[in-house]
Amino acid sequence: MNSAVIEVLAPRYGIAWYPWAVQYFFLIAVSYSALLLTVPGLLFGKKNYESLAKVALLVTVSCTLVGPVALLADLHQPLRFWHFYANLTPWSWMSIGSLLLPVYLVLVVAYAWLAWRPAMQVQAQGEGWIARLSGWVSLGQWHASRWMLVVAGLGALVLSVGIMVYTGAEVAIVKARPLWNTYWLPVMFVLTGLVAAAGLVILINRLMTGNDQEVNEQSLKVIFVTMVLSALVAALWVSEGITGFSPSVEQAFASLQRNPEWRAVAIYGLLVGVALTLSAIAMLRRPGWIGRSWLAGLLAVHIGWTFRWMVLMEVQTVAKNTAGYYHYAIEAGSSGLMGIIGTFGLWLAALLIIDILVPWKKSLQASSH
Amino acid sequence: MDKIRRALLGQIAKLTAGAALVPLSSIASAGINDQPPRREGDPEKRYAMLIDLRACIGCQACTVSCHIENEAPLGNFRTIVSQYEVEHEETGNTATFMLPRLCNHCETPPCVPVCPVQATFQREDGIVVVDNEACVGCAYCVQACPYDARFINEYTQTADKCTFCAHRLDVGLLPACVESCVGGARIIGDIRDPDSQISRMMKEHYDELMVLKPEMGTAPHVFYLGMDERFVSRPDAKPAIWDVRDQQGEEVGYEFSGH
Repeated sequence: MNSAVIEVLAPRYGIAWYPWAVQYFFLIAVSYSALLLTVPGLLFGKKNYESLAKVALLVTVSCTLVGPVALLADLHQPLRFWHFYANLTPWSWMSIGSLLLPVYLVLVVAYAWLAWRPAMQVQAQGEGWIARLSGWVSLGQWHASRWMLVVAGLGALVLSVGIMVYTGAEVAIVKARPLWNTYWLPVMFVLTGLVAAAGLVILINRLMTGNDQEVNEQSLKVIFVTMVLSALVAALWVSEGITGFSPSVEQAFASLQRNPEWRAVAIYGLLVGVALTLSAIAMLRRPGWIGRSWLAGLLAVHIGWTFRWMVLMEVQTVAKNTAGYYHYAIEAGSSGLMGIIGTFGLWLAALLIIDILVPWKKSLQASSH
Repeated sequence: MDKIRRALLGQIAKLTAGAALVPLSSIASAGINDQPPRREGDPEKRYAMLIDLRACIGCQACTVSCHIENEAPLGNFRTIVSQYEVEHEETGNTATFMLPRLCNHCETPPCVPVCPVQATFQREDGIVVVDNEACVGCAYCVQACPYDARFINEYTQTADKCTFCAHRLDVGLLPACVESCVGGARIIGDIRDPDSQISRMMKEHYDELMVLKPEMGTAPHVFYLGMDERFVSRPDAKPAIWDVRDQQGEEVGYEFSGH
């Protein structure tokens, strides 16, 4: 263009999805990823993965319980949530998600309940209110067969695939936002979810179970593999944009052209990603360093959360029609900072309540047979 | 308490009854993210708008009259006229370009299939509307619209957008923006009626008409006459009145509230 264009009056469009959405996407991704981490130890009964399964089960249950609260809060009319069920809309990804989510939640809770039940039944023999509560929660002393746990676990796994697909597709189908409109986005959500879940497992392992080295090692391996895969996906996405193989990725690049802030974001992402991958290798190779895995854990959680922040919040500041970029400043109130802190606070509360009531560090049902 | 419960039950009944009336075959035939069947409105008509940019002077009378007619909150617009100052880089000559924007009432509106509760739908006459008593305010449609034609109304906490003033059209009146346009730049009508002014003008200027963002595949039904193709998609422009503060940080003008 051989002319310079100024948009004289550019209206500002506010963001429509609030940080609640980031919290939901983060918690639900950690939930389904941590669920996967319970599989070898709990579902397949592999002894050397049992410690990992214990921590991962706690992570998956706490995140599964709190995630939907954040999702509900992101509705501008949260009390109308029942409209989802009064108007089933099979052509809308969000509607499909509203059907999958409660079933997934029930199955994850059932899976955890069956896994924790033997230890709770033992706890119920004791004295005091926790023992009485354990008796009520475990619904008596009858023996639940292992097949029940397997069915609940497999069911939760099947539904978790549904959650992965729907949360990814819901965002990726939005052609109006080229930065979202790519097949790689759902893949990236799953990969960064696994990174964050493994990171959170390492942190809980450090804070609540005495820093089990086996758990650290297994989680670091998960982080390493998923980071390498993430790098591969990012490279493929970038090459699709550069070569013009995908017009929407090409458009996505064009929408960020010459924007120094987005360039800084890309460089930061690259640096943090390399730092995490290298530190995972270093900690795995040097026996003395594995005890400091929590540093990699923090970085992993940071990557998983920040990826969602960039994708869901910052992309909304890229104008669709008008010149320039919208400025988004986090509000202090419940649709901003308080929402973010509140969600994490609720998660922490869920974690601690489970920790008080459930003897989750004791043997899981997997090993009692 | 009882009153609320009664209202709630009434609404559930109304909604479930409504769901029962949707033929099952039509649901089965719509794949994920396909356009659902249209409902309400006159099936004999297809409303569209032609904007003759040669007649637009950028006075924003449409913006103001729409704002008053539809009571949009301050800072949100169902229609607005984008104004561009174009400077030739070699000669330094400047010109202005006006581009009224509104909902395009697309033939395949991407905002409709995403709605999880069928609150937003396309009428048989092509007009895309929102039932704000059903809307849950998930803002998925706001994300899906490539034209930024939708917003969450802070008063109703539901999705809001241009309806071609359907409430006026249905009683034989013109939309507020058309009524107030001093240049007569906005022409609305039924494109299925070959004798309507819009049909005649579309026939006459068929080769010159342009729509916004055709690459989105939405088949917009707001047609522009006298359009410059550099403005069809997001123009390569710099924002001017955006941060309305002077160098000392003092507010020098009206900043759109709420942001």
